[in-house]
Amino acid sequence: MKISLQWLNDYVDVTDYFKKTDELAAILTRAGLEVEEITDQAQALNHVVIGHITLKDKHPKSDKLSLCQVEVAKGVTAQIVCGAQNHKTGDKVVVALPGAVLPGNFAIKKSKIRDMESNGMLCSFKELGVDKPSEGIVILPADAPIGLPYADYAGQSDVTFELKVTPNRADCLSHYGLAREIGCLLNRPVKKIEIFSKFSNQKTTDKIKLEVNSDLCIRYAGRYMSGVKIGPSPEWLKARLESIGMNSINNVVDVTNYVMLEMGQPLHAFDADSLAKSTIQVRRAQPNEKFKTLKEQDLTFKGDELLICDGEKAVALAGVIGGLNSGVSEKTQNIFIESANFNALSTRKSARANGIETDSAYRFARGVDASQTLDAMDRAVLLISQCAGGEAFGNHHDVYPKPVTKNPIETNIQTISDRLGYAADASLFEQFMSGLQCKVSKKSTGVYSVTPPLFRFDMEQEMDLVEEYARLNGYEKIGETVPRFDRSPTQHDAFYILKNKISNVMQASGFSQAFNYAFTSREQEQKFMQSAKTLQTYGFEIDDESVMIRNPLSEDLNSMRRLTSFSIWKNTTENFHMGNERGQLFEIGPAFSKSDGRYIESNRLAISSWGNEFGLYSNSTPNVYKVRSAIEKLFSLLGINSYTFKEIEAKVSFLHFGQNAQILVEGKAVGFIGTIHPQLIQQEKIRVDVAVAELNLDLICLGQPRPMRFKSVSAFQAVVRDFSFVVDSNKTMGDFMIDVKKSLGSVCKDVHIFDIYQGDKLDQNQKSISVRVTLQSGEADLTEAQITENVNKIMVSAEKMIGAKLR
Amino acid sequence: MENNVQNQLKSIKDSAIKDFTKAQSTAELYNFKVQYLGKSGALTEAMKLMAALPKEDKPLFGKLVNEVKAELETVYSDIESKIKNKEIDAKMQSEKLDLSFSAASFPLGHEHPIFKVTNEIVSIMSRLGYSLRTGPLIEKDYYNFEALNIPPNHPARDMQDTFFVDESHVLRTHTSPIQIHSLENEKPPLRIIGTGSVFRCDSDISHLPNFHQIEGMCVDEKVSMADLKGTISFFVKEFFGPNLKTRFRPSFFPFTEPSAEVDCSCPICKGKGCSLCKQSGWIEIGGCGLINPKVFEFAKIPYPQWQGFAFGFGIERMAIIKYGVDDIRHFPKNDIRFLNQF
Repeated sequence: MKISLQWLNDYVDVTDYFKKTDELAAILTRAGLEVEEITDQAQALNHVVIGHITLKDKHPKSDKLSLCQVEVAKGVTAQIVCGAQNHKTGDKVVVALPGAVLPGNFAIKKSKIRDMESNGMLCSFKELGVDKPSEGIVILPADAPIGLPYADYAGQSDVTFELKVTPNRADCLSHYGLAREIGCLLNRPVKKIEIFSKFSNQKTTDKIKLEVNSDLCIRYAGRYMSGVKIGPSPEWLKARLESIGMNSINNVVDVTNYVMLEMGQPLHAFDADSLAKSTIQVRRAQPNEKFKTLKEQDLTFKGDELLICDGEKAVALAGVIGGLNSGVSEKTQNIFIESANFNALSTRKSARANGIETDSAYRFARGVDASQTLDAMDRAVLLISQCAGGEAFGNHHDVYPKPVTKNPIETNIQTISDRLGYAADASLFEQFMSGLQCKVSKKSTGVYSVTPPLFRFDMEQEMDLVEEYARLNGYEKIGETVPRFDRSPTQHDAFYILKNKISNVMQASGFSQAFNYAFTSREQEQKFMQSAKTLQTYGFEIDDESVMIRNPLSEDLNSMRRLTSFSIWKNTTENFHMGNERGQLFEIGPAFSKSDGRYIESNRLAISSWGNEFGLYSNSTPNVYKVRSAIEKLFSLLGINSYTFKEIEAKVSFLHFGQNAQILVEGKAVGFIGTIHPQLIQQEKIRVDVAVAELNLDLICLGQPRPMRFKSVSAFQAVVRDFSFVVDSNKTMGDFMIDVKKSLGSVCKDVHIFDIYQGDKLDQNQKSISVRVTLQSGEADLTEAQITENVNKIMVSAEKMIGAKLR
Repeated sequence: MENNVQNQLKSIKDSAIKDFTKAQSTAELYNFKVQYLGKSGALTEAMKLMAALPKEDKPLFGKLVNEVKAELETVYSDIESKIKNKEIDAKMQSEKLDLSFSAASFPLGHEHPIFKVTNEIVSIMSRLGYSLRTGPLIEKDYYNFEALNIPPNHPARDMQDTFFVDESHVLRTHTSPIQIHSLENEKPPLRIIGTGSVFRCDSDISHLPNFHQIEGMCVDEKVSMADLKGTISFFVKEFFGPNLKTRFRPSFFPFTEPSAEVDCSCPICKGKGCSLCKQSGWIEIGGCGLINPKVFEFAKIPYPQWQGFAFGFGIERMAIIKYGVDDIRHFPKNDIRFLNQF
């Protein structure tokens, strides 16, 4: 909220802070009213003076520009090139001289425009930061004194604060409210606001009938004024509104806005003659009832909004906005001024439901003091009578069935001391509370009953008093202690520990950790994954449907992701195109699905490896094996010994059909691994091989951490035997190797493939596999007979599993 | 004994030493060894002369032959080890590698700065007895708002631009719901930290729609603002360095009362004023306060028997301050040139 210091000064004397606005800002910030920006209008208009165009010529090299000689001080003439069209020789204008920095950080310097020297700029309102509709540069009255700083001329010597008012401090959403707060902070008197009192003998109640039919309307007051003359506002009123960035409309509307900014009470002025049957009725809307706002928005009500109606139709959405049908116009002669108080939650609800944000709704949603309804109304009457004339009728309306009260809050100095951690002082407490306009009654030593003023909606419970004490005394008075540590700590979330373990092993394998948004483009993801059903067979809870976001930032982020490998694939392509021709990434993150109306968040590990260490075009280990190796290290860390990588019928659509596998742990599918499909690689113009994997961490981490048990290390001789088999080239070796381990039992320490050959010496559909088996017993050296027996078992397994013959 | 027999032995010895010394490789040397010391080598042949010697000379001759043999064996093994050393030197010479560059590259993977910061904070807070909790990202309205004293249609909801999933579910806008889950599922006293992704529909140069927070909560029999301040001050010093100052400003959060915003003195300019701290010398790092009794009421924890404080920080912000990251948009981009710096 913008606050004008000049305006504030009307109610509490802050003249001594005009030259040290930083200090006042610091006092407010320290009290919880953060000043985000200080704008010194005079400073913004440094080097901006009034000038006199002594000669306007055509620019020799342009049809659109003019070349002006401008007298900017007595006897000093500056040549200025100007692009505007609305000035002529003899005009008084506003000149920004070199050195001026106009709003928007626009620095004025000496320059040459199409070869002609220009020593400043003739300004428009927009360039001066004044929100006034205007075309071209500002032309001032002929009597404007040459050389006078424009800030002095325009009376723009105000300073404004941009104040961050937190939702609990509705009482500070007005100049008077803030003055009251400053009065308390600086211990200075706050002046009373003058209101109208000389009403005529005519009665408002004779002119307008009022019916209030809803308890959402806490208070409704109104006064009739006849014979007002609608016209422009006086300069002081315009300047006030402009100083805080509000446009002037006409004298009556400006006064209602002024009083809202002054006292925080939203007001509305109806054209009394437009009210059908001279009636005001406050009621809830009918479902589908239609309404056009004064900003010409067409609304269709849901049916629970509170409305202000005349004898026939809605004339305002209560507390939010007036109707086009009943507002004050140039032709208006008689007005009905509404000063009311509406239920906060319902006002916010009807504003949001209809997508309307107004200063009025903003204030009602946060709370408006119902005890100032009449004062605000008659403050407006006073200002209208000054600005627009007219006769103010007596006998105003005021329906206020259940006057708002505040309950007293019990507290004692001991509680305040305990909560703040320092000894609170009773006399200071009394001083603070009365400064806040609370009623304080002392029950006994250090024990109080405090009734806060009606405007402090946030003061409801004892802790609020503790906060007020802390705030007014200064948070810097609070000391620093650490709570005693005499509790037995609990363990971290188990999954957090596991995720860190997994992250560490992935990093050790050379993979860097990625973070991707939990949401993605539903369309792009669907196009990538094609079939959710296929992915289910790989151990994922995944559906054709996505969990959608109702109000996404963009279509690119419209659904919760179902697949983390899609994110990591996108990271990979972006990295490649940024010139990172090789790299390895992993992400531990969530994926989402919905089942039986419940949202399921599953933890996934996505891995990607692309390019190779020896440059773009050389050969190295296929990336898919690097990814597999990392997964095996992970399994080893987690104590998972029984796993397989198995080619299955249902291929993952975005993977190379000859380089992909289902990953099984203890017989259960937990994910997939593979090389990205060549078509995708081409589409994305990637020139290296890319492998990805995705694992369901919830499944992998079942039963973690697994107990680790030491197995004794054999002291006897290990025997190594190599075999070369010729097999059909489409045979896979994984199951064979598992079978060997199974049939040999504990004597088999290792089985691994150390060479694969396909080529001239073999048939086209054959390959040669070289396998090395390590045998070792824990009890004795193996005898020749035992070795032969095991070798025979290997041969049987080779025959059975891969149809192999010894080469 | 005849001199010529002795001379013959000497000349065998001399010739052998000469040959051994001549040898260039262990193989050549071995050939010479065979030639002199082998089964039919020169020395073995010389032994045959013994038959022709008078009986009394035989022991002396035998002794002499053995002496020559032993001497030659010694010379041989000396020369052999010299040649072997030379050969190994030659081998090493031929195997010279240029270690001034890396021919094999197995780079280390790096932790994402978000999680690096998270883990660091967790380990600092662990030392004070806090343990980590998590919670769902798609959260019930009740946990994200209501139980934190933010009723429906309350203007405090405007403080957090919310993504909605359905009537009663939102993407959590802060990690504070973790507090409520903990209060509901565990018994006080409690010292927990909660962390993870949070969401706000806000995306610009300084905001990500999906960012991270870390949250702390202490519930005990007697907890004061001074305890809160001391805890945060400890944390800030551990995380940013011992010379950093913290400042508390009154603020408003519906779930704490009193509430404060926490600023730390700018670690870049040391409080002198720079672009990071917008010339103020202070940087806002988070919010905190004593837990509002209304929150205890929602969670059915008896107050004031149990009291507490809570605080929350933005992790991206902590990372930006700690590492001097110039643009928040680096974090979700995952460019390895960025990641590999951490």
